[in-house]
Order: sequence, then C-alpha cells, then structure tokens
Amino acid sequence: MSSHASTVDPKKAELWDTHHHTHDVISTRTLGYFLYLLSDGMLFATLFAAYGVLSYQHSYFGGPTPAEFVKPWYTFAQTIALFLSVLAYGFGMNALKHKNKSGLINGMLAAFVLGVVFLVLDIHDMNHLYSMGITLASSGGMSAFIVLTQVHATHIFFGLIWILVMIAQVMTKGFTEETVGRLLTLRMFWHLQAVIWVFVYIFVYLWGYIS
Amino acid sequence: MSHGAADPTMHPEVQLSTSKGYFLGFAISAFLMLVATFLVTSHSVPPFGLLMVISVCAGIAVIAQIYFLLHIDISEHNIWNTVALVLFIPLFLITIGLTWWMFSQLYLRTMDMSVMSSAMQPAVHASATPGMAAMPGMNAHTDSGN
Repeated sequence: MSSHASTVDPKKAELWDTHHHTHDVISTRTLGYFLYLLSDGMLFATLFAAYGVLSYQHSYFGGPTPAEFVKPWYTFAQTIALFLSVLAYGFGMNALKHKNKSGLINGMLAAFVLGVVFLVLDIHDMNHLYSMGITLASSGGMSAFIVLTQVHATHIFFGLIWILVMIAQVMTKGFTEETVGRLLTLRMFWHLQAVIWVFVYIFVYLWGYIS
Repeated sequence: MSHGAADPTMHPEVQLSTSKGYFLGFAISAFLMLVATFLVTSHSVPPFGLLMVISVCAGIAVIAQIYFLLHIDISEHNIWNTVALVLFIPLFLITIGLTWWMFSQLYLRTMDMSVMSSAMQPAVHASATPGMAAMPGMNAHTDSGN
C-alpha cells in the first residue's frame, strides 16, 4: 500500500514546474533583438559581397574610382565621431546602472549630437561626390559603393530617431521594464553600428583608396 | 532568475555595463583605425602588405568592440548571444566569400581584362549615364564613340 500511495495521481500531477521561475521579459527581448541584428548583418553581407564583385577596375566603367575621391582623414573624423557617440551611449548606460537618470539623458544627448556630426559629415561627403558628377548611375562600382555606405548611414539616421524617442520615454515613464528593455536593445543596435562601420571604413574606404 | 520584476535597473544586462569596458572598446578600436589611416596615407607599405595590415587592424578592432561593447563572452547570461554570433560568422563569411569567388572566376573566364581597362567603349551606355561625359578622361571616348 505504501508504494501505491507514492504513485502519481494523473488528475493532480503537475507536469510542468511553474513555480519559482518568472519569465525574464528583458532577456527574452534582448536575445530576440540580437538575432534580428544578426539578420541585419546578413543584409550587410550581401552588400559587401556586391561591393566585392563590383570593385574591379572594369566595374567603374572608366569613371572615377574610390581611389580618386576618398579622403582617408576626413572619413577618419567620421569614424571618431561615431566611436565617441557609441562611447557616450555606453557611459549613459553606466549611469542607468546606478539609476542616474540625468547621467543617462546626458549620455544619450551626447550620443545623439555625435551621431548627427557623423551623419552631417556623410551627407557633406555625398554632396561632394554629386558635385563631381558621381552618382548612383555613374557605374556599377559606384552604385555598390554608394548603396553600401548610405545603407549604413540610414541605420545611423534611424538610430538617432530612436535615441530621441528613448530620451522622451525615459523622461516621461522613468525606468520601467519596457523602457529599460528598449534602452538595452538600442545599446545593442548603436554599438553594432560601430562594428559594421569598422568593416565599411577599412574594406570600402581605405581599401578603395589604396587600390 | 526572477530578477527585473521589482527593479529593471538591477537586471544583469544593465549591471554588466562598465565605463572602463566601454572606454577600452573605444580606445582600442580608435587607435587601430588611426594606425590603419596613417599607414594608408603615408604610402610606406606596399599595397598587398598594407591590405593585410589594415585587415588585421579591422579584425582586432571588431573583436575588441564585440567583447567590450556587445558583451559577447561565455558568461551564463550571455552564452546564447555568443552561440548565435558564432553560428552567424560562417554564414557572413560564406556569403561574401563564395559570391566574390564566383564572380572573380566569371570575370576571369569571360572578360579580357586588358581590353576592358584600356579600350572600353562607353558610347553604347552613354545615354544611360549622362554624368559620365563630364568626368575626366571620358571626353575622348564619347567623341570617338559617336
């Protein structure tokens, strides 16, 4: 009888351990967003591949190549602006760790301003190309160059909008599970732009300059 | 792991932020970009060696940023981000590498590069690219083509 009493009663059995574990909403969202960002990385893989196959000498159709218009130190200034923006956002997130709301907002504002500097330098560079008569239609090589660099710039543009939205949400809603989760996903997004920019800067701008 | 419900700023992904880590990520990658830019503009290294050196700069900078900025490591909390990234890298490299290899073989077998580079005939495409005629070196071709 004693062994019988210890058998599981199917009507009362708990098949799943539903206690002591709450759903970690923030971690679930950040992992999901990280997977999305990796698929964004595949978008850049296709654009890098397109640039790779369209950066032969014949790809430029006798027209200008990056070697003729890339100014390494100008683009280096862009690089530093973006890296500093990423650093400022990181400092802001460090302030979040200490529940320092004004520190977070100052960091995000600095990240926003430096991101704008990056974007203004990029737009100025594109206007310079346009004034030289270089457009998307100039050659296959120039199409690949402009599309790749401007898709990255578009990421920065939407990141800047996102930063403004998050500043407003932090000011109005404070540190809730939603806002903190969004700040973490924005941190991933913004920091990944610096990683992608390293590839763009080295393999498109600098390599284009020396080839 | 019932963190976050009471105070989301205590979530481990918030708490793993460190100013020192972010500054190191910035300093290492900015320094490597400075080195790469300096070498490229000084023309002191032959092109192929230069490509190798700046590729190494890019590789180290990316690893530093992934470690210090994206917090990709083997800690319990981030292990699935790391697994996803490790599985992503081959896809990224294969997409670029195979595409580049296929087209380089195609060009090798279908185009006479010496003809392509020296005696191109842009006249056929001149209407599609009106900006070309204004570029340096394009005038002779358009005149002869028409």
